[in-house]
Amino acid sequence: MTAGLKTIISLSFVLAIGFLLVILSCALFHQYLPLLVVATYVLAPLPNFICSRCASPDDFVESSGNAVIDFGRFCTGFLVLMGVALPAVLAHSHIIQFPAMVMSIIGGLLIYGTIISFGMFFQEEQEF
Amino acid sequence: MSEERLWKFRRPEWMNSATARSAGVYGSGALFSLAFFILLDAAVWSKSALNGSTVHINFTDWLPLIFSSLGMLIINSIEKTRLSADSFSYSGSGVAWKARVVLFLGFASLAGGMAGGVTVLVLKYIVTETSWPTTWMGIANVVANAGVMASTVVLWISQNMEDEYSYNLSL
Repeated sequence: MTAGLKTIISLSFVLAIGFLLVILSCALFHQYLPLLVVATYVLAPLPNFICSRCASPDDFVESSGNAVIDFGRFCTGFLVLMGVALPAVLAHSHIIQFPAMVMSIIGGLLIYGTIISFGMFFQEEQEF
Repeated sequence: MSEERLWKFRRPEWMNSATARSAGVYGSGALFSLAFFILLDAAVWSKSALNGSTVHINFTDWLPLIFSSLGMLIINSIEKTRLSADSFSYSGSGVAWKARVVLFLGFASLAGGMAGGVTVLVLKYIVTETSWPTTWMGIANVVANAGVMASTVVLWISQNMEDEYSYNLSL
């Protein structure tokens, strides 16, 4: 139980650092477009969750269930790379500065890593 | 299944695992995203102050990517098992034939998108002899279409992998 508590505390710490980096990358340069990265990474695991609920992974006869899962994975892959590509696009056109790009990418990856770790954590809990 | 194999080299064992399959699907989504954002980057750059030339990206530059994506959608929506099923009992009358026609349309759209990308690059950027940073907008078009093509290939391979995997599991 203490191990679970430690995990929660460290994960929330990482999440706070991620948000700090993203907000800093916006506020330091007075350009608030990198906040979109947060929205992307929050949306990223959603298709996966939704599609895994829609399809029952048990039946192997009907492959439409697998197609739905694959579609969810495709969307998740799209959104994850979008979180990296969006600051790069903005920085290439000099809409945001280069340090802001680096900070928002690192912060976004930290946020996404936290969400994924939480998902795995709770899935493990569900089995009992 | 093994007697019906067509090719001499068999697929490596690690490719049949479930992790490789899902990694393929994720990677396919990432490749598609990369292709889309390369062209979006060119479009944003074209409207920004960095673009000194009078050449801008408009709808004609997006058209090849739209066709490529349409082809990708068609190709990967086809049920793969109907494609190889020649037996009458399983596929019914002419389902495999219909699937092949639709698949041909999908591949034609994909190849048309690629050809369209090259056409835009040549007609809009090379013939008019634009200088380097402007030419990148045309090259980005070709790169984006190649990315959609690569994404299609990866998704196709990982979906075929899925069939093998479920077959092994059901045995």
